[in-house]
Amino acid sequence: MHRRSFVVGSAAVAVLGQEGWTRSGRQAWAQEAYPTRAITIINPFPPGGAADVVARPLAAVLEPALKQPVVIETKAGAAGQVGAQFAASAKPDGYTLLVHIVSISGFAEVDKLYGRPVKFTRDDFIPLARLIADPMVLLVNDQQPYKDLSQLVADVRRRPNELIYSSSGLHGALHLPTALFLRAAGLQMKHLPTNGGGPALTALIGNNAQMACSAIAAAMGQIRAGKVRALACLGAQRATALPEVPTMKEQGYDVEFYLWVGTFAPKGTPEPIVVRLREEIGKAAAAEEFRQAMKNIGQDVAYLDQAEFKAFWDADAKRVEDAVRQIGKV
Amino acid sequence: MGGGAFILIGALVLSMSDDLPFGTLASPGAGMMPKLVIGAMLAFGLVLLARARGGPALAAIAWDDFPHAVRLIAITAACVAVYTWLGFIITMSLLLFGLTCVVERKPIISAALFSLGVTGFAYGLFRVALKSPLPQGVLWF
Amino acid sequence: MLFYAFLGCIVGTLVGILPGIGPLAGISILLPVTFGLDATKAIIMLAGIYYGSQYGGSTTSILMRIPGEAASVMTCIDGYAMAQKGRAGAALSIAAVGSFVAGTFGVVMLTLVAPPLAGLALRFGPPEYTALLVLGLVLLAYMSSTSLVRTMLMAAVGLLLGCIGIDVMSGHFRYSFDIKELGDGIGIVPVAVGLFGLGEILSTPSATVTQKVVSPRLRELLPNASEWRLSALPIARGSVLGFFVGIVPGSAHIIASFLSYAVEKRVSRTPEAFGHGAVAGVAGPESANNSASTGAFVPMLALGLPTGPVTAVLMAALLIHGIPPGPQLVSEHPDVFWGFIASMYVGNLMLLALNLPLVGLFVSVLRIPYAYLYPLIVMFCIIGVYEVSHAIVDVWIMLIMGAVGYLLRKFDFDPAPLVLGLVIAPTFELSLRQSLVMSGGDWLIFFQRPIAVTLLALCAGLLVLAAVALLRKDWRGRLARAQASGEEA
Repeated sequence: MHRRSFVVGSAAVAVLGQEGWTRSGRQAWAQEAYPTRAITIINPFPPGGAADVVARPLAAVLEPALKQPVVIETKAGAAGQVGAQFAASAKPDGYTLLVHIVSISGFAEVDKLYGRPVKFTRDDFIPLARLIADPMVLLVNDQQPYKDLSQLVADVRRRPNELIYSSSGLHGALHLPTALFLRAAGLQMKHLPTNGGGPALTALIGNNAQMACSAIAAAMGQIRAGKVRALACLGAQRATALPEVPTMKEQGYDVEFYLWVGTFAPKGTPEPIVVRLREEIGKAAAAEEFRQAMKNIGQDVAYLDQAEFKAFWDADAKRVEDAVRQIGKV
Repeated sequence: MGGGAFILIGALVLSMSDDLPFGTLASPGAGMMPKLVIGAMLAFGLVLLARARGGPALAAIAWDDFPHAVRLIAITAACVAVYTWLGFIITMSLLLFGLTCVVERKPIISAALFSLGVTGFAYGLFRVALKSPLPQGVLWF
Repeated sequence: MLFYAFLGCIVGTLVGILPGIGPLAGISILLPVTFGLDATKAIIMLAGIYYGSQYGGSTTSILMRIPGEAASVMTCIDGYAMAQKGRAGAALSIAAVGSFVAGTFGVVMLTLVAPPLAGLALRFGPPEYTALLVLGLVLLAYMSSTSLVRTMLMAAVGLLLGCIGIDVMSGHFRYSFDIKELGDGIGIVPVAVGLFGLGEILSTPSATVTQKVVSPRLRELLPNASEWRLSALPIARGSVLGFFVGIVPGSAHIIASFLSYAVEKRVSRTPEAFGHGAVAGVAGPESANNSASTGAFVPMLALGLPTGPVTAVLMAALLIHGIPPGPQLVSEHPDVFWGFIASMYVGNLMLLALNLPLVGLFVSVLRIPYAYLYPLIVMFCIIGVYEVSHAIVDVWIMLIMGAVGYLLRKFDFDPAPLVLGLVIAPTFELSLRQSLVMSGGDWLIFFQRPIAVTLLALCAGLLVLAAVALLRKDWRGRLARAQASGEEA
């Protein structure tokens, strides 16, 4: 009630005199009728990545529900750090949201590792919802002889630091699970960082790298074509898309890693707006259109609302921070 | 003259690169590429410096367009400084008006009409037709 | 089907002409619109935007010396020089026709030999890429109108600028001065627009400008017979070169246009005309740029691998429509594949028909009095740069680069090598260091792989040729001096 009278008051001032069109007046007004203009979702990765292919169908479903354009703005760079930092420092008014993946948890740890001022932490974001969670798979190039994980492990153990694994970049989403696996198995391999998931997969298929971890959806076409072989699934259970691939746990390595995609709002976003967004995203995640879109990209919707997402995120962040410390300073 | 400037830049950048490790060949560090490039730059700069004696002297260069260039940069810089604050329409109108009227000394009225008209057209094209976000100022537009 | 191809081409042309909104932004904006369509129509329309924008990109380069995107930098040099001579219409027409020939050539190659060529893309690992970029750097020597040392200095500055930002391999921040936008490096567009577009305006005081394009008659809009003759071979060479460079992953169409320019200058009988309105300097790079953008479809369609940001979005579009791009695309979804190919034949024709009549309209822009025209250009520079990344830092970079461009021009330095240095620096550094990681620090890796060694041999050959030419020139010079002193004595 208090807020409403303030809004009415400022609107009245606005009608009477120009000074009413100030920032605070506009913000309060916007809050009441949220959203009054286009909402921007920051995609911190190059177009076509996991965050992008989830965010676009989501935006398409959200648009009619919010009755405002939902724009995906690509702010790629530094393995998703540039976009995340942009979103963290954006005005918390609900008009700038972030879609990010598992690697969001690692940046603060990396900054600490390098003795840099921490640019943003997980606390700078309000988790809104998790949308998908795809277990990673460990892949080898089809020209390599390994038929299962034990053969690979044995060979790497015989000639440490000879075989090469590719990744989406230092401390990136494809680097962290590989690092966790190498530690669990006590192995040493050479790291070939590239600048994205696509290039990492290209390096693997071209046999410039022999091993890589990837999300299932991104690699499915190549797995089916026999260009790469999946040796292990990094989920808690076997993946529905690859039922014949055993999990890491089945093979004796306690490694679990998901490529999940979630949405976030900057810290300080007013509660009513957060509630509205959670509602709408929840509805969108249940919408047939979105489910179909996720099925198309080989995903099942793995929606978690704020509370469960927060719990999942906390546990997941521990894994990620662990992996970052394991990789250490390069 | 030109060579000297590049040597200066090279030395300056080199002094900023202290903290970047060169690394080893097996795992090249962040400082490898910049330091190699700076080395090349210094070398080329020296060659240029050595050769410069035969080249045209600084005084031979015509600087008569310098005041025009400075005026132009000053006005543009001022507009860039307020671009995100005042928003697209106001800034761009001011920019166009400043350039046509102040720098080029065109009649005020035609300069003003030109500025407003062009800004309006560009706004319509980008914002309305292409839905491409332009900076919104403190005012509504 | 045709309608969607047409729609894509129109949007693409528009997106290409307007500075800043490149094909990537255009496709991203229209991607949601395609959700309601079936996959074939969607991909036809989105691809239309992509290759359509390659046609339009040359327009502002020729008329205003603003590179609409990085690949049009080379067109700025001779295209704008042609426009100043009153041959803007000819330059635009040549660019359109060259684009058409190259685009069609690219599609024919795509139809006939995509699968075998796709293997080539896979064999391009880090060592091959390093070798290709070394070749690019060597070819720089042929690119500049000023001395070799000056060219190399400019390239070094560009390479150094390209080191700004976070280091992909070690996570270090380099020279970013705590400006978060610099974390991802300096953008190519702000630098190119500043050096070329703004730099040009700063060094052209309005009083000295005389309006050359007074009344463009139809005859003057079209290239004359000798211009056609001079551009035929560059278009052919550019088409072939561009296609093969385009297959290679990375920002290939930029490199393709640079390489084509250098090649044209190398083989030209009048290399001194380059930089002063050589028609081959427009025809070659424009064709190379276009066929490279078609070549980029080879790994995407045949392997399901993106070679650049634009093909990545197109792949995402296919994915969203339930078609996983991969090696089996052609066998599992022949309707999508062949529909796509067919649309590109038609699309290129449409673009030619769309672009040629527009030439007259564009040229009349030059009839605006300069005192009004250049404020317009300044505005478009600002909009263009800001719209790419929505970062005001980029506009400042553009402004600083404008001042730098002005000074460089005063001291007779050519800005083009700087831009090329900036373009290749990140990829060059990454692939060089990747190669060294792969080999454990052994430089021999570059000589153990056939493609890399071929490219490097080509570099060595060019260097020897250049050295021979230099020595011969030196010797002649000495001879002339000796003769002169002999006569004096």
